[in-house]
Amino acid sequence: MKILIIEDEPTLNKSMVDYLSSQQYLCETVGSYHDALDKTALYQYDCIVLDIMLPDGNGLQILKELKAAGKNDGVIILSAKNELEDKLLGLNLGADDYLTKPFHLSELSVRIAAIIRRKNQAGSNLLEFEEIIIDVPARSVSVNKTDLILTRKEYELLVYLVINKNRVLSKNTIAEHMWGDDMDMADNYDFIYAHIKNLRKKLLAAGAGDYIQSVYGMGYKFTSH
Amino acid sequence: MKLFDKYNRLNITATILTFVLGSCTFYFLLYFILINQLDETLQTEQQEIAAYVATHNTLPEIIKTRDQFTSYETAKGKTKTTFHTVTNTSGKGEEKLREIEFTIEAGSNYYLFKVAKPLEQTESLLQVIIGVTIAMIGLILLIGYWINRTMIRKLWQPFYQSIEQIKIYSITDLNTLKLDNVAIDEFALLNKSINELTERIQKDYTSLKDFTGQAAHEMQTPLAIIRSKLEMMMQNESVVAQNEKHIGDIEKAIHRLSRLHQSLLLLTKIENRQFMATEEIRLDQIINEKIDEYQELIETMQIVTVLNLQPVRIVMHPHLAEIVCGNLLNNAIRYNQKEGTIEIILEPGTLTITNTSPYPELDKDKIFKRFYRAGNKDDGNGLGLSIVKQIGDVAGNSIRYQYRDSKHWFLIGF
Repeated sequence: MKILIIEDEPTLNKSMVDYLSSQQYLCETVGSYHDALDKTALYQYDCIVLDIMLPDGNGLQILKELKAAGKNDGVIILSAKNELEDKLLGLNLGADDYLTKPFHLSELSVRIAAIIRRKNQAGSNLLEFEEIIIDVPARSVSVNKTDLILTRKEYELLVYLVINKNRVLSKNTIAEHMWGDDMDMADNYDFIYAHIKNLRKKLLAAGAGDYIQSVYGMGYKFTSH
Repeated sequence: MKLFDKYNRLNITATILTFVLGSCTFYFLLYFILINQLDETLQTEQQEIAAYVATHNTLPEIIKTRDQFTSYETAKGKTKTTFHTVTNTSGKGEEKLREIEFTIEAGSNYYLFKVAKPLEQTESLLQVIIGVTIAMIGLILLIGYWINRTMIRKLWQPFYQSIEQIKIYSITDLNTLKLDNVAIDEFALLNKSINELTERIQKDYTSLKDFTGQAAHEMQTPLAIIRSKLEMMMQNESVVAQNEKHIGDIEKAIHRLSRLHQSLLLLTKIENRQFMATEEIRLDQIINEKIDEYQELIETMQIVTVLNLQPVRIVMHPHLAEIVCGNLLNNAIRYNQKEGTIEIILEPGTLTITNTSPYPELDKDKIFKRFYRAGNKDDGNGLGLSIVKQIGDVAGNSIRYQYRDSKHWFLIGF
């Protein structure tokens, strides 16, 4: 899976590369509008992470050029401006998703995975982790080929954990993914605990391994090690 | 008081005073001239009598006429000729007379002659002058009033036109105020100055708006870096093991900062009226959606919700309506107690949200101020209600807070 990251801030750029590379994505990066135009014209990417405000141009222009050239690369827009108009404009121009800074790397990873799945209609729509298989379009989960019944929130949590496998995810990050950043109450941690507990119980009962690890009371990690 | 009224009051006072003074002077001057003239006639009489005496050496016969009274008596010697004004009370009523007294030598005797003429005509002159004065003052007041009614209104028309244009001018419309060039110099100057002023303000406003957007970009990017670096750090479990508490605290602080920043930006945008109400929305649907979103939280706190929602349609920006409902509901849950209640009543024209709470009555004057936190919970940023208030101000809704029956009431009027 090839990803192009267009972001002028080198440190943020590097963080994204580090995180996404660890998830087996092949990452290329550019820091300027013109380099980005060159890259997008020459190569095909599964997903492009596009910062709107670049020092020498507007990211939306790159999006326009892409669509004008009939390219089908998935595009996720990054913006520091939480402007409704920018978001609507971006999505109207054919972007697949929109993320406002500051974002969680795990959230970016989930969004990229979703875009790639959507674009990749011909390929597999299954998320697999050991004996767990998630059929994303059908929103169903099976363990050892036996269907597992999950609530909506439990399903979302499982998808999020599987996509961000082997990563430490803080409770705050999980809460923001599950409930949006409107709700930043400490009480949310209790729901996360409840949902994690239920999910783990259901997975264990279905015969899956105990993959959800608690990390020093700070968060969780989905791993088979 | 209107400018013209003020001017008029002064002008009319001065006019009346001038007229009264002028009339007085005129009267006295005329009176003096007339008396003088009368005196001259009386002197002619004197000369005629003197001439008669000189030729005939006897006194003339006295003929009584209606407008001349002559009488004489013997005198001891020659006296100076004098003029008096006397009042004759003998006839019918009082009568003012002008009298000349002179002595004449006829034979060897001296005679004191008195010739008098009535002042009647002079008296009536005074009445005419007073009458004319009053009539003039009356006329001037009438003309002043007419000018005020018609002329002044017409003259000030460009001024009121400019005021109307200024009233409907909004800085967020982004088109500068263009007041017409008018014929009257003062108003033309006023319009020109206002045009220049709004142009300057518009420029400042635009640059400030750009600045806000840029500031957001400049601040959110470092925040994004901090957050991503922290997340990378979290992947190193030995680091997490040693700094679990620190990392957690930093993460919370970043979250708060980014939310605070977004809330402030939102407030600025609402203040700048960047959300215009364009469509009709179903408020009851929005409230139901919000309750659905917060369902888990409500269930966890075992809060009982009592809903009485009538289908209400209002014209409001959907994003703003969501924020209002979300923030109020969020507060009602956040500051509620375990097994408390939330009551939401939506009727045409009013939305009432009531909640139980362990917290006492809030300060009505401060509750909608920025950064006011009533409870000691530190997870709120103190902007939720001021955003609701700001939206109310822009959308023309009223918002009130009450504390009744140990419950907090928030009432919104549409």
